[in-house]
Amino acid sequence: MVLVFLFSFLSSLFGVLSLATAEEYTFDVSETEKKPYHIGGYAEIRPVLFGLDRDASLYKLKFYNRDEGSTLEEYNATLQLEGSLEKGIARLFVRTNTDYKNSYLGEDFETTVHEGFLSLKPSSSLTMDVGKKTLKWGKGYAWNPVAFVDRPKDPDEPELSLEGFIVASADYIKSFQGPLKTISFTPVLIPVYNHVNDTFGDINKLNIAGKIYLLLYDTDIDFIFLTGGSKTTRYGMDFSRNITTNFEIHGEFAYIYNYKKIFVNSDGSTFVTQYDAKSALIGMRYLTEKDTTYILEYYRNGTGFSSTEMRDYFSFINKGYDTYVATGNDALLKKAANITAGNYGRPNAMRDYLYLRASRKEPFDILYFTPSITGILNISDKSFSLSPEFLYAGITNLELRLKASFISGERLSDYGEKQNDSRVEIRARYYF
Amino acid sequence: MRHAVALVFMMLFGIPSYAIDGTALLKEVDRNLNPESYESYRKLINVEPDGRKKEYTLFTIKKGMDKVSSVFLAPASEKGRSTLRLGDNMWFYIPNVGKPIRITSLQSVVGGVFNNADILQLDYAAEYNVERVEQNGNEYLLYLKAKTKTVAYDRLKLYADGKKHLPVKIECLTEANMLIKTIYFKDVKDFGGGIVRPSVIETDSPLYKGYKSVMIFAKLKARILKDEAFTLTYMPNIESLR
Repeated sequence: MVLVFLFSFLSSLFGVLSLATAEEYTFDVSETEKKPYHIGGYAEIRPVLFGLDRDASLYKLKFYNRDEGSTLEEYNATLQLEGSLEKGIARLFVRTNTDYKNSYLGEDFETTVHEGFLSLKPSSSLTMDVGKKTLKWGKGYAWNPVAFVDRPKDPDEPELSLEGFIVASADYIKSFQGPLKTISFTPVLIPVYNHVNDTFGDINKLNIAGKIYLLLYDTDIDFIFLTGGSKTTRYGMDFSRNITTNFEIHGEFAYIYNYKKIFVNSDGSTFVTQYDAKSALIGMRYLTEKDTTYILEYYRNGTGFSSTEMRDYFSFINKGYDTYVATGNDALLKKAANITAGNYGRPNAMRDYLYLRASRKEPFDILYFTPSITGILNISDKSFSLSPEFLYAGITNLELRLKASFISGERLSDYGEKQNDSRVEIRARYYF
Repeated sequence: MRHAVALVFMMLFGIPSYAIDGTALLKEVDRNLNPESYESYRKLINVEPDGRKKEYTLFTIKKGMDKVSSVFLAPASEKGRSTLRLGDNMWFYIPNVGKPIRITSLQSVVGGVFNNADILQLDYAAEYNVERVEQNGNEYLLYLKAKTKTVAYDRLKLYADGKKHLPVKIECLTEANMLIKTIYFKDVKDFGGGIVRPSVIETDSPLYKGYKSVMIFAKLKARILKDEAFTLTYMPNIESLR
């Protein structure tokens, strides 16, 4: 209610300002003149307050040698700049991301080039790109098991821009009349060498990926592959289709050959197992008559850990913490930290998840106000996160968001062992 | 005898309205609104009850009866976002998200009274059959019925100018004849190239009391476009067609 009042107040305040300049509806065509260059982006500030769970394994792993109390403050700022230059068939595009963080660890400042590539478009059927770019394959909203050439996205913030990889790619498109309306082919080369995409996988390999897209019988269908040695060979497919004017379904399936899983038991012994992993996602988007959109997705992560494997991992951390408390020796905790990075520590590292997001457009007659709630449930251990949020975009180029997250689960469960019990953040983002 | 009288009355009063070829009239209205393939610029203005406005500028291309695509040029928060419609299929591309997602016709990518079907309007004849036509003075009233369940509005009452054969007002109705919104066509303007049509479209809705949305057209002209410009793969590049 306080929020509704706050947003109403802001609306009224800015309403008064715009009324002062009220005029007839005009369209100055000079606004449509095209420039060969473009510079834009956004700046945001995002203070966050974490409520810590001091009994959780991941709290112990991170804070075993310091006492940060029961809450933690963090102040974040981001500047995302993008620019493009177009001449003839060529276009140069760059997007950089600068993050500032002030947390219990002190100040941190990092600038990353998310994308930077040269694009050539010799015809409307063909585009060729060289440079750093994101491909964003897959139809899922929260997860994309077929996004073989992308960094994993955070299901808690699936719309954030991601850092790409250095690639050479092309898009060839052909349109037809009849049930097959479009076909396109996207071949991609991904070099992985020292200082070039070296986080992608094994180095000194030239990887090849590809995607064939069909719009067939009003259904989007993609066939995808990746091979070359930096990662094991993998194939995938996805689809998406509108069933009615307010109901869409989508799905993905990925088959990964010889996936190598590294895991620990509760004593800290490391094991490696190799198998063909199958991941899948099925989802829907549904709009009700009252303008509420539901996004529901089920994700089967074939590369994920079982409940037993996850319990062993948490038990190992607890054992390491007990050893540290008793002896001051943190060797086991350091080993646990090593096996966490990129493995147990990736988002949704277990096998079966359910995602539900409900967002209501403009309730209480407040235009541009969208309250939402998102839940992610780990089906195996019944732990979950619940995130309500309020978004207001009524002021041109300014977006205000208040978001909270509450997580719950039993001890040794996925969400039950996260370092935080809750999180509240305010985000103000200004586009220019 | 009663049947014979009824037949005479039908012949006297019924024939004039049925004599009009509704389908041909609707196709003529479509062609008078815009060429089959064209480009245009549009400004969308959402007006709130207190007079506060939010504006969007779009570049739009259309080909044939069922292909239309738009890219947002302003404001900065929306720049680069594009929408594509192929028949009943609609997608929305957000540069940050980086991939087109399917959207539905009843949603609205801009908020306000216009929904996606209004913003990515196809030819009316592509989506509707003419059930009947009435002539009231210097105005035609076309009763339109959606060809499929996937069309945003089940029924339309299209009021057309009797001379210019241009729409004056359209009432959008549900299957149960409940009014969803009314669209008003205003300010007929010569865009050049033989295109003379309303340059302003306004809409209001009993579902959004006090709110109004306005669409202003500029630089509307016929253009030959390749089919490939209307594909998902092309969505990040629509602005290159300007």
